[in-house]
Amino acid sequence: MSLESFAQTLLFGLFVGGIYGIAAVGLSLVFGVLKMLNIAHGELLMLGGYVSFWVFNVLGMDPFASLLIVIPVLFLIGLALDRVVYRHVVRLVGEEKIKNSLLVSFGLTLVIQNLARWGFTPDERTIQVSYAGAGLNLLGVTLPYTRLGGLAIALVVTVLLHFFLHRTYPGKAILATAENWESAELAGINIHRVYMLTFALGASLAAIAGTMVITTYGISPSVGILWTLKALIIVVLAGTGSILGAFPAGLLLGVVEALSGAFIGQTYREVIGLVMFLLVLILRPQGLFTRH
Amino acid sequence: MSNLLNVNGLSAAYGDIQALWDVSLEVNEGEIVALIGPNGAGKTTLMRSIAGLHRPLLSGEVTFGGTALQSLPAYRIAEQGIILVPEGRKLFDGLTVLENLEIGAYTRRAREKRAQTLQRVFDLFPILTERKDKRANTLSGGQQQMLAFGRALMGLPSLLMLDEPSLGLAPIIVENIFETMKLTNEQGVTIFLVEQNARRALELAHRAFILEQGRVAGTGTGEALLRNDAVRKAYMGYAPSEARIT
Amino acid sequence: MGEMALKLTSSGLFRRWLGPAGIIVLILFVFFFPRLMDKQNIWNLFFLICLHISMGQSWNILAGFAGQSSLGHAAFFGIGAFITRTLWFDGIPFALAFLIGGLAAVAFAMLIGAPTFRLRGAYFAIGTLGVAEVLRITVSQNLPFISTMSGPLIAAYDLPVRYYLSLGLALVTTLAAYLLLRSRWSLGILALREDEGAAQATGVHVLRHKLLALALSSLFAGLAGGAFAFQQISYYNDAPFSPLWTFDALLITFIGGLGTLAGPVVGAIFFILVREQLALNLGEVHQAIFGILFILIVLVFPGGLVEAWERIRKSFKRK
Repeated sequence: MSLESFAQTLLFGLFVGGIYGIAAVGLSLVFGVLKMLNIAHGELLMLGGYVSFWVFNVLGMDPFASLLIVIPVLFLIGLALDRVVYRHVVRLVGEEKIKNSLLVSFGLTLVIQNLARWGFTPDERTIQVSYAGAGLNLLGVTLPYTRLGGLAIALVVTVLLHFFLHRTYPGKAILATAENWESAELAGINIHRVYMLTFALGASLAAIAGTMVITTYGISPSVGILWTLKALIIVVLAGTGSILGAFPAGLLLGVVEALSGAFIGQTYREVIGLVMFLLVLILRPQGLFTRH
Repeated sequence: MSNLLNVNGLSAAYGDIQALWDVSLEVNEGEIVALIGPNGAGKTTLMRSIAGLHRPLLSGEVTFGGTALQSLPAYRIAEQGIILVPEGRKLFDGLTVLENLEIGAYTRRAREKRAQTLQRVFDLFPILTERKDKRANTLSGGQQQMLAFGRALMGLPSLLMLDEPSLGLAPIIVENIFETMKLTNEQGVTIFLVEQNARRALELAHRAFILEQGRVAGTGTGEALLRNDAVRKAYMGYAPSEARIT
Repeated sequence: MGEMALKLTSSGLFRRWLGPAGIIVLILFVFFFPRLMDKQNIWNLFFLICLHISMGQSWNILAGFAGQSSLGHAAFFGIGAFITRTLWFDGIPFALAFLIGGLAAVAFAMLIGAPTFRLRGAYFAIGTLGVAEVLRITVSQNLPFISTMSGPLIAAYDLPVRYYLSLGLALVTTLAAYLLLRSRWSLGILALREDEGAAQATGVHVLRHKLLALALSSLFAGLAGGAFAFQQISYYNDAPFSPLWTFDALLITFIGGLGTLAGPVVGAIFFILVREQLALNLGEVHQAIFGILFILIVLVFPGGLVEAWERIRKSFKRK
């Protein structure tokens, strides 16, 4: 394999990894703070993609610009879901809570998927921007603008999120609640509001990923569960103790998949991730990036 | 001295198991009041009930400077000026010392003054200044207790509650903690303290209550209880006749 | 839930409600009613109900009795369907293909069982979901076409036989669950559900009991898959691996009552009948309705219909 095609493969792995990372960070945030597994995360991603699609078709907005609409819409949907459904699960503790959150979000997955199939039809949708084929050419390697833009957005969002969590008081409240919700309450933090905000934030992150997905892959109502699984794999790889660690883990998975696809064969791209996931679950359950 | 905290007929349970029966006590402004008693007496439950972590209560009222607390959630109670340092510290382990302290000043009232309060906390516990960017779980037991104390102070409490601050700490650190409590009290903070170390608690406190099996079994000034034979036998391990070692 | 379910699981709900006479009547009904009507949609309806009873009951054995909530149940169903179909199409007599399909599901379960059982709670659920999805994706990628019965097989197609097979399977699965509860393994398995740590401390060989529950669960799910492969004329190869089968099993068990013997039976009847009605009237959206129903049951009424019924009975007894 030539150096150029190796670099090309690596870069495409990074591009895909950026999407993976953002999708995973949203899930990681919700799990880290609310201590709940949201299997419907992929459905939120799917919805984000659809909003972006309709905004593109109806308003003619560039998908990257459409984020200005996609993010608030999914933020509100996240708030609503927390208020109506997840609020009742958050109250529980330990095993029961996790089990119930799995079941409830499993049910929600079916509801959302079904409504989407009915409302949007099962067809796959993509967004073709005017600059779809164009890109930078550096040293024999092609960097399509769409992919480059996607990775750029992913990096910017991650940095902003880090800043938000560590330097603003609402963000610090979220981190504190994730560490120890009782101590957070004792410090005067309204944890119910934290839960709601965090869930909505997770939905927004899923939506951003969804916009990236529809410009690169395409979206249909049934892709939700695949993305949830992808995000779950990355969260487990990163380790649940590190919220933002899901981003580099996503990049890693993207690169590993791309490289194994090139060297072993395309049919095994999907499987390699799942195999890694099962191995980490069994051999190092605390994840690759957690300190404990 | 005015009544700062007033607990009246408080009863609490864990599911079907009742833990507190009709507990009544009061803490006056400027005092140090200790709560002693055997393991499992319900001291932590009482603390959590006052601080708002244990809800709902079976019955009773908790008033703080006139405001009723018994149905308020914990974060509201913290806003009122009651800060609890929970049993076992319960720090934000993955966050740094500085972040822990900053979160302690989350309430609007505390946030305004946080720069000054932070400086005071660092003056009180110099070791925290050194380790301010280190993760909380890398600190030793004593340092963690100091951090927990400091975090509570960042909330500008008028009533500071501490649940077993000396638990698991070396004697010299325990001395340090008790000194700090005395100092804090002299600066105007009322203290309500649960302690296993009955002797030190009674030496420090102005008044104390004894909690046994979920009920108030006795009360008095610190000095009086220190000299009380029954209390000495039960909680300090000796009766007057056994004081001499042969 | 624990106390109620223990009472219900161990007391043999059927006996309390129906009495031996009632059971005989029920069995006669399910044997002869479809034959009496002899309409294709009745045969299919009853077939579906029995198939789902088996799926629900088999999931219940692992999740309701042993407390291991697996989200990968479809994997066993899929393997059973796949192996049975492949062997049968290759000329192997169906009965043999059917049994081998079930055993293949068990073999697979034993293979992944030991490693995944080391995971607790959520990780176990995700792990099993992940495994099931690996399987589904692998099949979907390597065999992305429809599997159809050949001409001769279609000519020889006999719907009643299919029904009686699934009826028999439903009966055997329920009987197996019942016998499991009466066996010397039952206490160990139920203890796992209540508190695994405590069970281990009292000497219960946790892994062995989990594997037993898993073996039975996967066997009957695999056989159900075989029944599916026998009945469906054509389907996409990855269809029996779809997580919808897992969800249906969960839904049925929860509606009926997790951890009870009658739960999956009641749940399957309710689910299929209501689904047919809703599908007629609402088309696509009916699954969304079930999703909402499921969420409500998990949050509000985890004991399902069985518990609801018990409560009503009790309030009548007091009067």
